[in-house]
Amino acid sequence: MDFKDYYAVLGVSESASPEEIKKSYRKLARKYHPDVSKEDDAGEKFKELGEAYEVLKDPEKRTEYDQLRKYGPQADGSFQPPPGWQSESGFGGGGYTDADSRQFSDFFEQMFGGGQAGGRHAGGGFRQNVRMRGEDVLARLPLFLEEVFNGCEKQVSFAVHEADDQGRIVARQKTLKVKIPAGMREGQHLRLKGQGSPGIGGGEPGDLLIEVELAPHPMFSVEGRDVVLTVPVTPWEAALGATIMVPTVGSKVNVKVPKGTSSGRKLRLKGKGLPGKHPGDQIVVLQIVIPEQHSAEAEKLYEQLAEAEKKFDPRSKLHL
Amino acid sequence: MSEKDSILTVEVMDSDGSTFTLHEVCERGECHAEFVIKLVNYGIISPVEPSAEARQWLFDVAALARLHKARRLQRDLKMNLPGLAMSLELLDEVQEMRREVARLNHRLQQLLD
Repeated sequence: MDFKDYYAVLGVSESASPEEIKKSYRKLARKYHPDVSKEDDAGEKFKELGEAYEVLKDPEKRTEYDQLRKYGPQADGSFQPPPGWQSESGFGGGGYTDADSRQFSDFFEQMFGGGQAGGRHAGGGFRQNVRMRGEDVLARLPLFLEEVFNGCEKQVSFAVHEADDQGRIVARQKTLKVKIPAGMREGQHLRLKGQGSPGIGGGEPGDLLIEVELAPHPMFSVEGRDVVLTVPVTPWEAALGATIMVPTVGSKVNVKVPKGTSSGRKLRLKGKGLPGKHPGDQIVVLQIVIPEQHSAEAEKLYEQLAEAEKKFDPRSKLHL
Repeated sequence: MSEKDSILTVEVMDSDGSTFTLHEVCERGECHAEFVIKLVNYGIISPVEPSAEARQWLFDVAALARLHKARRLQRDLKMNLPGLAMSLELLDEVQEMRREVARLNHRLQQLLD
């Protein structure tokens, strides 16, 4: 079991006042709330914060924790409580707050977990006959564009809460293989009926809600249902018009570049975006590129071109 | 804390289609109807047919996910309704902007290559 330095977690000193602890907790809780932060480990951090605050905001728990802290971790960072250690504050004294205490660490559980009559018990006392629907669980699922495009089968891991033999609520890791239909968009949700946390007292299980995220693609970007691709063309293709080969997701098509095309011009390939009842389009953004080095012959031709097109002023709108 | 992972192949029941009554979202969100009605009045979530009476409201999966989010924010950050409404709107905006920035960066990278 690892020792948890709750002061470090909350970024406060050992001598911090209750006000400082509260202030720091509130600030960090806003920063690391999993619904707010984009950091991958925000969920973990937020849990740690809740656990640290649970202990340090309670004068009794804090005093006990300070004693344990003096006793300290072993050289390898692991921690064993002193022999005969028993928390006084865990029993009775207010119990848990409404923080999600079910996912606190083993360290917390070992030190303060004695009095879990309220928070972590599902059975026991009057609750025994309670029938409760299991909670819905939200999982985020990052997908590659090709997977979104074609549909795929993915493994999804998430934690559900359920009662163990003693009626304690524990977190259990669950993994499912899920068939993702083609054409899902970023931010869309899938619902897997009955795959969330089990119900209590014969209550119905909750659902798993999967939120789709899209991993960045090296070539394509996605806007709603449309797929956007920048395609380089030569100046002569742009000037004279040409038929060029353009990749689409999983395939390729021939596209006609109209005569007299400027850089940034967009071509719409109908129905080549994300599939679905209303399939999206692929937007091709043309970008004129020139070789890094021209041959002497080409340079001569450009000089002729410059002479022939002397009247063309691309900067006429810049009021020079 | 974790038992051996169970691997199961499941089909997705519904993507867009399914809806939930006011009673169902209350049960799932572990909240009173009053709270959901307030969320609707503040424009935080909306039923599929906003004109209908509260008893006839139906919510889609996205609204349900948003209700869960609102409940988490309210519980964890002790927010009141106007604060929730504003935060959720700003969070949406931030997320949209992050996506936009990612898209633009991506395109810029392509132009510079």
